[in-house]
Amino acid sequence: MKGDFVARVISNARAAELVSDISLELPPEASGIDPRPGQFAHLSVGGLFLRRPISIAGFDGESLRVRMIVRNAGRGSGAIASLEPGESVRMLLPLGSPFPVEDLAERRGKSGGAKKIHLVAGGIGAAPLLFAADFIRALNEVRGGIFSVESFAGFRDEASSFGADEFGRAGACRLVIGGLVTDALEESLGRGAPDAVLACGPEPMLEALQGICSANGIAAYASLEARMGCGVGACLVCSRRARAGGGAGYRRVCRDGPSFDLSEVIFK
Amino acid sequence: MTSLETNLCGVRLKNPLIAASGTFGFGREYDELYDISCWGAISVKGLTNLPRSGNPPHRIAETASGMLNSVGLENPGIDAFIRDELPRLASRGVTVIANVAGSDLDDYREAVRKLSDTETAIIELNISCPNVKEGGAQFGASPRSVGEATSAARRHSSKPLMVKLSPNTADIAVAARAAEDAGADAISLINTITGMAIDVRTRRPVLANVTGGLSGPAIKPVALRMVWQAASAVSIPVVGMGGIADAEDVARFMLAGARAVMIGTANITDPMAGPRILAELEGFARTNGIADINELVGALETS
Repeated sequence: MKGDFVARVISNARAAELVSDISLELPPEASGIDPRPGQFAHLSVGGLFLRRPISIAGFDGESLRVRMIVRNAGRGSGAIASLEPGESVRMLLPLGSPFPVEDLAERRGKSGGAKKIHLVAGGIGAAPLLFAADFIRALNEVRGGIFSVESFAGFRDEASSFGADEFGRAGACRLVIGGLVTDALEESLGRGAPDAVLACGPEPMLEALQGICSANGIAAYASLEARMGCGVGACLVCSRRARAGGGAGYRRVCRDGPSFDLSEVIFK
Repeated sequence: MTSLETNLCGVRLKNPLIAASGTFGFGREYDELYDISCWGAISVKGLTNLPRSGNPPHRIAETASGMLNSVGLENPGIDAFIRDELPRLASRGVTVIANVAGSDLDDYREAVRKLSDTETAIIELNISCPNVKEGGAQFGASPRSVGEATSAARRHSSKPLMVKLSPNTADIAVAARAAEDAGADAISLINTITGMAIDVRTRRPVLANVTGGLSGPAIKPVALRMVWQAASAVSIPVVGMGGIADAEDVARFMLAGARAVMIGTANITDPMAGPRILAELEGFARTNGIADINELVGALETS
């Protein structure tokens, strides 16, 4: 179930330089929604014509609170990052194809026992992966340690970093400041490859990760960004090229994604 | 109780609200949010004979009170539409308008011929899409080519033919008359206005296609003026569009001469635009003592 709801801002805390950690409460009519890591919300921002797609960084079904971690990188994200408690925001959610966590739960692990998932985050890409970490942690409690999680979070500098403590609650977390988070991932392969990688971050990072995962036969899923129109898959402005079957075609980031099989993504 | 029913080329519409082509796909996505049969009709994504993948990103740019798009007519092709989409829409009780684009006259003839034996209610001829490099823009730009495209389609269509006019032309009234003279059963206007956006940091156009079509409230004054001029020039029904965002806008276009309206960009900013504007229209009619919505058509007073 998805819908367009007016949410109320509960809190907005500074997570890092230019990064805001915002909690918004949805109204009772939203109680049927069930957002998954990798999905996003399409926010209507005062003063701007188009809505802005923002990854869902967390969700609590009982309180109907949605978490968003937003980096001030432009007019739209800047307006969202500076939302104050008490303000109202209209948002359409949950949208998009999530990270295939349930699918991964059904697959056989490489070494039997718990399936090893690596989360690879670059900058603000950590936002949907924090949801993934928390979601997997909760799944482990219910299904008895079905996954083991290791996170790799890379940031440009100390001031922009966030989330390391939270990633640490789901499993080991390797924080990379100033270097390439993909280097850290590659080093870790010596200790045994994961069953799957979930990633979100800048395109060059994802492209490098694609190379590493294909060279090592690791299943990987990346959450992509795109300028969007409707956010539901009807207008086709967010289409991006991806491989499918023998050829290549356009896929909608808002609906066929944002989570894509990384091996199918075509980088320019 | 107001009657919102209207008639377009002999096709009964339950209300004058039509979802505009290009913003609504084939209805699947919005059907997940509400019952899409609430629309008077749905004009589906522009179809071409062969599937098209469309333009590379970026295909969208935000503007003041609007947006530019250069999707490039990405669509699965007419055969796939007839096979995979039309039966579903027809069984949902949706009145389907098939929007058809082409690069040359043969394209239009073939497309129209294929659709003639289907459950499509009306064929909308897209001769004005400014994003197609191989000729789409040319048809809509001059009255002569408007007439040629219309004649070519007319001869092969057993369905009512509605020609979607481009605003990127010197005289919209002349273009409207050209469509009427060539046998169009109705005209719809306006399509998007060709525009451009530039990124100062990269010093490049925002759109990969360089130019794109401007839509949304930004174009409403131009659209209203053109609908009024076109409706004054022809006797065939006119469907108006361009930045319609609420029931008062619907009323404005009807006063200017539109028998029905198309709502496109509003769906992008408000996914519930369809049912919202329908409810607003019912309220507007009640508040203003309108017994039959058709009394608004062409009722603009200019004396």
